[in-house]
Amino acid sequence: MSHPTSLDELIEALRCLPGVGPKSAQRMAYHLLQRDPRGAERLSRAVGHALATLRRCSRCNTFTEEEVCERCASPKRDPSLLCVVEMPIDLNAMEQTHAYGGLYYVLMGRLSPLDGIGPKELDFDRLLARVGDGAVKEVIIATNFTNEGEATAHYLSELFHARGLKVSRIARGIPAGGELEYSDAGTVAQALIERRDY
Amino acid sequence: MSGRKRVDGQRAYVLHAHPYSESSLVVEAWTRDHGRLALVAKGARRPMSALRGRLMAFQALEMGWFGGGEVKTLARADWQGTPAGLRGRGLLVGYYLNELLLKLLPREDPHPRLFDAYAEALAGLAALVPEAALLRRFEKSLLQELGYGLTLDREADTGRPVDPAATYLYVIERGPLRMVEGDEAGDAVAGRTLLDLAAGTLEDPRSLAESRALMRRLLAHYLGGQALQSRRVFMDLQEF
Repeated sequence: MSHPTSLDELIEALRCLPGVGPKSAQRMAYHLLQRDPRGAERLSRAVGHALATLRRCSRCNTFTEEEVCERCASPKRDPSLLCVVEMPIDLNAMEQTHAYGGLYYVLMGRLSPLDGIGPKELDFDRLLARVGDGAVKEVIIATNFTNEGEATAHYLSELFHARGLKVSRIARGIPAGGELEYSDAGTVAQALIERRDY
Repeated sequence: MSGRKRVDGQRAYVLHAHPYSESSLVVEAWTRDHGRLALVAKGARRPMSALRGRLMAFQALEMGWFGGGEVKTLARADWQGTPAGLRGRGLLVGYYLNELLLKLLPREDPHPRLFDAYAEALAGLAALVPEAALLRRFEKSLLQELGYGLTLDREADTGRPVDPAATYLYVIERGPLRMVEGDEAGDAVAGRTLLDLAAGTLEDPRSLAESRALMRRLLAHYLGGQALQSRRVFMDLQEF
């Protein structure tokens, strides 16, 4: 390989995005340079600006420009409820329900033993400090229903129980408006196992 | 050309998976009759993909795939039997088993007996069987199946049956040698432990403790210095 030119460097840099392989990176690079140089400049400024101004909210761990994000600072939110999610995108999914009025904590990941992601990498200490603020009464664990999400939920629940907190886990089963006929076997099996009195 | 080779109806487990291209996964699958394979699950990361929920580790699956290269293409994966049912700590132990297989099992090298031992270990974890004996039995099957010639019931030098009352030194690649004056006492193992491990009946606390140390030493040797991430994460979790 010859020395990377600035074009090669751009292509290589774009590959840091999830799901972007060499071909997509090349397509993006050519698009930015040929078709949309203004868009490229805007992108470059926005990335630089975001990196310079964004930080983690000291309460919920998600990205914000302030010390404490708007949601965590809001008096309309119930501080006795704390919902733990894996990623900011999961927080958005919860917010879209308009069914939750408490606060959040974003783990920024999940236990992933085969990738070496454990409690230290996820900074469990920080979460434990957050739930121990005296205001939190119930923690709702809303990690994903993958093996990693379940392992995370299990260990978190043990830690929360040991601190005398009420702990709950979001329920799972047949989706709203769903039909058994079109649901996959695993979902139906779980719905059956976790059936409740009615 | 064998490029279109098609295989179907194979019992399999997912050991690990990682994202590939925009919407796919590369699955490290372990199949009973074809060994460990890398399979591309096309579109498995699309929001409505039916494959996505099925390709879960520890779940007994039936798979079909095609292709002749090093990385093959997953054609289908269906759940077999009941949901795996591993929970909490059992999941962490399951990851440890998967990591051992990923690091020690060469690709496309079938080991049906070890596959069955794995299925049995997972069933034990789901049924909350005490994990220590279960782990030792699996580790023993793994080393035996991989051809590391684990000799447990005969003395390496004399070929005589191991004496349960004697103390031994286990020499890697050779087997048990009777302890003599001046041997490193730290690696000592009772004859009883070796025989219990050979028979897979690990109930005695001393047998359990010593076989754990022995297996750890043997695995470290065959892993050639590769650290086990799942063990480290497990230890970190114990600290909290």
